[in-house]
Order: sequence, then structure tokens, then C-alpha cells
Amino acid sequence: MNVREYRDELVVRARLLLGVFVALLAVVCIGYWRIQIVHGAYFHDLAENNRLRRLPIKAPRGLIYDRNGRLLVENIPSYTLLLDRSRSRDIEGSLGFAASVLKRPETQLDAVVARYRGAASFTPVLVAENLALAEAAHFGVTSLEHPEFEVDVRHLRLYRHGAQTAHVLGYLGEVSENDLTRGGGRYIVGDLVGKKGIEQTYDQLLRGRDGNRVVVVDSRGRLLEEDEREPAVPGQSLTLTLDLDLQQEAERMMDGKVGSVVALDPRNGEILALVSEPSFDPNLFARRLDQDEWDALLNNEHHPLQNRALQNSYAPGSVFKIVMATAGLTEGVVGSDDTVYCDGSTAIYGNQFRCWKRGGHGWVNLHSALKYSCDVYFYHLGQKLGIERIAQYARMFGLGDSTGVDLRGEKAGLVPDPEWSRRERHQSWYPGETISVAIGQGPILVTPLQMARMVAVVANGGYLVTPHLVREAAIPQPVATGLDPRILANLRQQLWSVVNEEGGTGAAARLDGLDIAGKTGTSQVIAQKTWTDSSSLAYEHRDHAWFASFAPAAAPRLVVVVFVEHGGKGSAAAAPIAKALYEKYLQPDLRSNVLLGG
Amino acid sequence: MRSISSPISAVTSFSEDRASLRHLSLIDWGIFLSVLILAGIGLATVHSASSELAVDYLPRQALWVALGVVLLLVAFSIDYHVLTELSLLLYSAGIVSLVLVLFVGTTVNGARSWLGIGHWRLQPSEFMKLATMLLLARYLSGINQRHLGPRQIAAAAGIAGLPMMLTALQPDLGGAAMFAPILCGMLLIAGVRLRTLVAIVLVSVSVGGALFFFGLRDYQRQRIFTFLSQESDPLGAGYQIRQSKIAVGSGEWRGKGYMQGTQSQLRFLPERHTDFIFAVLAEEWGFLGVATVLGLYALYVVNAVRVALRARDRAGILIVVGIVSFFAFHVLYNSGMVIGLLPITGVPLPFLSYGGSFTLTNFIATGIVLGVDLRRYVNR
Repeated sequence: MNVREYRDELVVRARLLLGVFVALLAVVCIGYWRIQIVHGAYFHDLAENNRLRRLPIKAPRGLIYDRNGRLLVENIPSYTLLLDRSRSRDIEGSLGFAASVLKRPETQLDAVVARYRGAASFTPVLVAENLALAEAAHFGVTSLEHPEFEVDVRHLRLYRHGAQTAHVLGYLGEVSENDLTRGGGRYIVGDLVGKKGIEQTYDQLLRGRDGNRVVVVDSRGRLLEEDEREPAVPGQSLTLTLDLDLQQEAERMMDGKVGSVVALDPRNGEILALVSEPSFDPNLFARRLDQDEWDALLNNEHHPLQNRALQNSYAPGSVFKIVMATAGLTEGVVGSDDTVYCDGSTAIYGNQFRCWKRGGHGWVNLHSALKYSCDVYFYHLGQKLGIERIAQYARMFGLGDSTGVDLRGEKAGLVPDPEWSRRERHQSWYPGETISVAIGQGPILVTPLQMARMVAVVANGGYLVTPHLVREAAIPQPVATGLDPRILANLRQQLWSVVNEEGGTGAAARLDGLDIAGKTGTSQVIAQKTWTDSSSLAYEHRDHAWFASFAPAAAPRLVVVVFVEHGGKGSAAAAPIAKALYEKYLQPDLRSNVLLGG
Repeated sequence: MRSISSPISAVTSFSEDRASLRHLSLIDWGIFLSVLILAGIGLATVHSASSELAVDYLPRQALWVALGVVLLLVAFSIDYHVLTELSLLLYSAGIVSLVLVLFVGTTVNGARSWLGIGHWRLQPSEFMKLATMLLLARYLSGINQRHLGPRQIAAAAGIAGLPMMLTALQPDLGGAAMFAPILCGMLLIAGVRLRTLVAIVLVSVSVGGALFFFGLRDYQRQRIFTFLSQESDPLGAGYQIRQSKIAVGSGEWRGKGYMQGTQSQLRFLPERHTDFIFAVLAEEWGFLGVATVLGLYALYVVNAVRVALRARDRAGILIVVGIVSFFAFHVLYNSGMVIGLLPITGVPLPFLSYGGSFTLTNFIATGIVLGVDLRRYVNR
């Protein structure tokens, strides 16, 4: 490379570049000199006195209504007391004054202020929240004597029905550091965001967009000029699919119990009621909780914050026989008239499997096996189908996968098979487990919401719906499962018998004038060697009670699934609750003759 | 020849009797130390600037600086001839990622500039500047003429223009504009006639004018109007620049003290941990702080130009000049922008502003400069 010839030229040019840089740097330096030294005092005054402030205008959060337009959540004003320590000559005196107005011990306020010791003196101290209107007004009229105090108005969420709608609506909380960084400038510190429920899922719609205004304030913080720039865009209001009457009835029926209720429309997946008990009062979260309240919530053995309808999964018990019957008929391994003799237990793979009924059911076919929930019949059906096919049909009914409901934190449940056993348990599948799964015991797990979707497949003739709570939201269309509609129609008939024929296990849900169909379930919490009634056991060892149902049987419009933790038998503990809900929701229609075909 | 022999003799006389230290003595400690001090000042200022933000950016920036030092050493240890050999590959990869970012990039402040890789977000346009420099150096060093012809100038402009255009599409005009000083600096050194350079500047001014009226988005035009009439609308669009000037001016001689800037700590100042970090420094450390930092930048630039002057070959000279142009332009533009001498656009301050890709780019660039210097005697 022959570069030497032009090296002198390069040197000259490089020096020229350097010269330009030095000259421009000098210009910049002079610029700083002018601003900082020549006009420094002027800008110092501006910084001290005429302060421009850009204040956010909080967008009012969207309201939430039930399907009939009844208000569930609204915004109410709340007053917060702030202290600017740089404007107080005597902090002790200021706090003494505040303590006398708020009628709180001065030591409590001292402790609050002490937490801000490291912060700059002009950082406002949050002294107290949720002031009464009279207290807020008191600080307002004494603002001349005590300019260091400022009352800030914020809006709080008021959940009108408190604990009754808590798991559906959720609550707000202060934005986390994680959300702040991922939000890409959407949030600022101290913003309230949805932490659970609808408030969380639809936070972006509900929150709207905050506006901005620029104000000029003088050294005492008084507003000199206001110039609104960008108005806030209010959050969008949401109409839920929830029916408040039905929700309250479900809540009332579940009062004092532990468990959940899901009611949905099998035709489109609209959730009409969703209850998880025990519940909590979301209004507690609107203000800061004190330690005792937190402890009470966190240490409650029944975990009230957990939404049992979708965040807990349980063995489905005999309700799973719906899947088994469909699989058996579709695969042709049983006919409607094939019979099995039940003498109370049977030996399969060298193990003794017991029917729930001591002494047995005698000769049973599919119809009577479902009606009496005979376990022995389904043990044999399970043996014929094998675990692979059972798992395949369970998945066709949407089990083992989240339902896609518009609430976060949903559990997927579990449909076990040999492959799962190898992968997760590192052991092979025991043939005996197939027999347990056949009656909804063993490792299989479902959430009450999945159960509701599963029953909806039977009710709507073979479609998997996406359960949802907000009408406006984009909801996937129901998906065809490919199950034979005639087999499902047959099943609807069988499940009608469970409730309406003499001796059916669902008799407790029978309602005059309405064709309710359903299946009871009792899932064991501990393995029992004998025919003991679990109600004689300790609470935490008692069986869970299920009732999964729909009505009217001929053209179903409502699915109700009731789950009572440690409730005992499904027939006794869960079915009456479902009955009450049908009475509330469908009976009025009957009386007004809307339901002609039912 | 004369001009390169004098600095060499100074260094060699020092290293002859300490052969083991020979390599250490070949490092330009002025550059290395000014970078470390600037990065340290940057960390402290980022911490102060983010004290009222949701997140303290100090730990993250510290991580970037640590990573930057490692990459500096890596870049330092690679022979820059290898880098120029690889430049076409790097450049092509950069173009691909710039196209990719237009489609799958993450949008921040209205510009789709970021590629997310797992938990990390990178700004390909920053690294692209290095690749462009290397490719330009490779192309221009191969031209053995006193003056470049129009075709060669056009080719060089094309090399810089493609990534520039892609960055402008994001749209990140500030980032795109930073390709211009690299190109101009390198063309000047490679031997463009002064009258050609003047013609290029005239053409770009007229193209810029056309862009201003037809190619800019409203907010971008607004920023330029604001710059042209700063005091006319202090409550509206001039808010940012006015707050910045109040912050800088109220720092006076010695500043308000670390973490005590009312403008910064009271959240008056927008973008204070990134593009306007110099305003935070000016408010809290006063003119003395400003002068110290600008002095450190000057030390870096002057030493880097000396590295260029004593570099072994044309490629080395061109690479270092490209880097120095880029670096110096960032310093001048940002410090001028903060006090309203130039329109506001997203141009960060090297080693001070918070930002991963930009910080890493500067460390790598510094490593390359030191590497060129290290190899000034190596025969190849």
C-alpha cells in the first residue's frame, strides 16, 4: 500500500479537523459560561422562584357494569395530606397541628416523617391518606398559617358489592418496578394498576390515558398561571357478562363454605356468575392495608385471595364419568344395553376396587350406571378404553389445558397419561391408575371453570367455548370438538335422568317446571379402605363435593358447576346450591312463558 | 514522515530500558484514563438523575460499563486489519438487523429502534456506526490517490447512506444524523477536495431543507421551531429546553451539590438520565464540573487525533478519524443541545448518558483506537 506520498496531506487535514473541534468546543464552553456565570443569578432565581411544573391530569378509570347495566365499580374522591418540609419553619409545630386536626398521636406522624429522613427536604411527605372531608377542609382554610401542608385529591375505586364480586373484579395496587420498566413509559411511580381480576386483564382499556398540564407556581407553591395542554382520555367503561342477581345468589348460597361456583351460558361462554369462597373485601386494597389486615388475609388457612374457580385444581370425581361415557359410546367399546354386575367391589389387575355403594348396584347398564354413579361399571369401561384413549377424550373436552378465560393466573389442570408419568414422575404408569382415573380419581386434576366448559360441550352439542367476562372483548368463536352430536344428545338425556328419575344421585337439584340435567361427584381427599362416610372424618380429610349441570336439558342456556371443598357428598352438598341458582335465573323466564320449548 | 517520527521517538526512548513494559508504554493512557474517569462520573450522575425515578439506573449502567471495559480489551487485542477484513460481514449483519428492527423492533419514544433478545434490548443502529466506519476505512484505504473522484465519493456516501436511511425510517433522526460526521471526517482525511466538500455540504443543506418541509413528522418539525424561538412558548413545546437551561444556569460556579439539584430532583427536567444528563451534572457541579468534563473529552479527542497521526497505515488513520469524528460530534452536539444551541434530538453524551448499546459502542470504539496505536510499529 503506497500511502506515504500523501501522508503530509493527511496530517494537515487531521489537524484541520482537530482545529474545528477545538473551536466548536470553545463555543460550547462560552455558552456554558454565559448561562452559568453571566446569567447564573437569573437562572438561579428562576429555579428558586418561578417554577414551571408539569402536572399529570389523571384520567378517570373506566366504570364496570354487570350485563344488565348495574354499576359494580365506581370512583370516589379521596384526600391525601402532603407535607413540604422545606416550607416549614418548625416541623414539630407543624406535626403537632396536623395531629390535632387528624386526632392522631403525634408520635405516629413523627414516625411517618422519619422515614423520609434521607430524601431532599422539598420531597413531599405523605402524612395521611383518606382524610375526612372536614379534615381536608380544615387544612384548606389554614393554608396561610400552614403553607407546608397540601391536600391532594385522588380517586379511589369503590367496589359496590365488596367481597361478592371480589374475584371477578380484582383490585388495584401500586405499579411494580417490573411493570414500570416493561411498560415503556406508560406508567409513572405511584400509578395504580389492576393487580387481579378484570381490573388487571383490562387495565389498558380501563385506565385511559393521563393528560398533562403545565402550570407556573411561585416560590410559595401558589398557582400563578395554568395552561392545559393535553386533556386526559378517560378510561373505557366495561359491561360484564356477569349477572349481579345470580352472582349474589351464588355468593349467598356459598356463604360460610369453602369452594366455588361457575355459571355460564353454554352457547357462547359468557360467565354469568363466578364465586370463590372465602372471599375478601377489595375495598381494603383501595387504601393501604395495615399490618393486621394483611396478616389476616395472608394467614387465613383458606387463602381468600385465591380464585378457586380457576387457580385451584381438584380431582373431578364421578363428574368425569361424562367423559368416560362419551368415550365408551364413541369408541364403540360399550353399547347402551351392555350390562355389568356390581356387587360393591371388583378385582382388576390384582387389586380390589370398591364401588361407593356398599353391597353394590346389581346389574347396571350405562343409563343406570350414570344415574346411580356406579363405580364398578366405569372401572370396567376404563379397563376397556385404556389410559391413552381416556386422556384423548378428556382433552377433547378441554381438560388439561387453560380455558382462555379473561382472568390471569389460570391453572391448566392435569390429564395424566404414561408419557406424563415418565416425564414428570420418572416412573412408568401403573395399570391400576387407569382404573382410578376412570372414576375421576388418581392424578387427574381439573379446575371448576374447566368443569363448566366440559359440561357446556355436552350442553351445546359439541363445541368448546371460551369462558369470558367482558362482552366487548374479542372472544374466539366456539371450536368444534368433533364429538358426535347424537351421542351428546343421548348423554343429555342420561344426565336429565340423574336429576329427575327416581333414585338418581342428583335428585337434590330437581326443580318443578324445569328440566335440569347434571352429574354429581365426590372426590376423595384421602384413600379409604372401607365404606366410611367421610363426614365422620376430620374436616380436612372429608371428601370434596361436585355438581356439574345444565338446563333446560332440551335446549340448555345455563351451565352451573358447584364445588364445595370438604363438603362431603356432591349429591347433598353441591346439588342444592345449583338448584337455587336455576330457580333464580331460569324460573322467572318460565313464569313469563318466555321459555316455550323447555 | 517528520510528523510521525517525533512522538515515536518519545515513546521508544522510554521503553527501551524497560522492555517488559514496552507494551504498557504503547498504550495511550490519556485516552484510557479519561474514559475511566468519565464513566465513573457518568455512573454517579446517572444515580443522581434517577433518584426520583422509579428505577435507579446505576446498577444497570454499572453493568454496561463493566461489560464495556471487557469489550474494550477485546477490541484492543484484535488487530484492526482483521476488523477491516471482517467489515463487509459486520456491515451486512448490521444492515440485516436494521431491516429486522423495522419489522420486529420494540418501540420506545416513538421510534422503533430496539431489538429484544431475551431480557436484553439492543439498538443495532449504534453498533452499525462502527461497522460503517470499518467498511469505509477498508474502502477508502484502498484508494491510492491524492484526491477522491466523484464516483468514489458517491460510493462512500452510499456505504454511509444505506444504514443512515434505515435508521431514519425508525424514525430516529438523531441517530441517523450521526452517520454524517463519520462520513465527512473520513472523506476529508481520505482526500476529498475542499471545494467538493463545500458542494456536498450545500447539497445536504438543500436536501435537509426539503426534508424539513416534506419529510418530517409534526413533532420533529415542532422541535426545530422550538429551537428557533426558544422563549416564545415557555409552557408548551419549549418546556424541555427551558427547564434544561434553568438547570444548567442555576448551577452557577460550583453547583448545588451532588443529589441536590432542584431542577433534577424535582422532576422538572425530562430525559435527565439519558440525553439531558449533562444538565444534571451542570446543575449539581456548576461550571467547574462542566469545564472538567469537557476538558476530559478534549483530552480524549486530542490524544486520539495524535494516535491517528502516528498510525502505521492509511486504514488505521481512517478508522481512528472515523471514531474521533463520531465521538467529538456527539460531545459537541449534546453539550450544545442541552443549553439550546442546537435542536433537541436523541443524541446521548458518550460515557455519561445511560444506555447499553451506546455505552458499549463507545468502549469498543476506544478499544479499537488503542489497538491501532498499539500496532503502530508492527510490520505486516
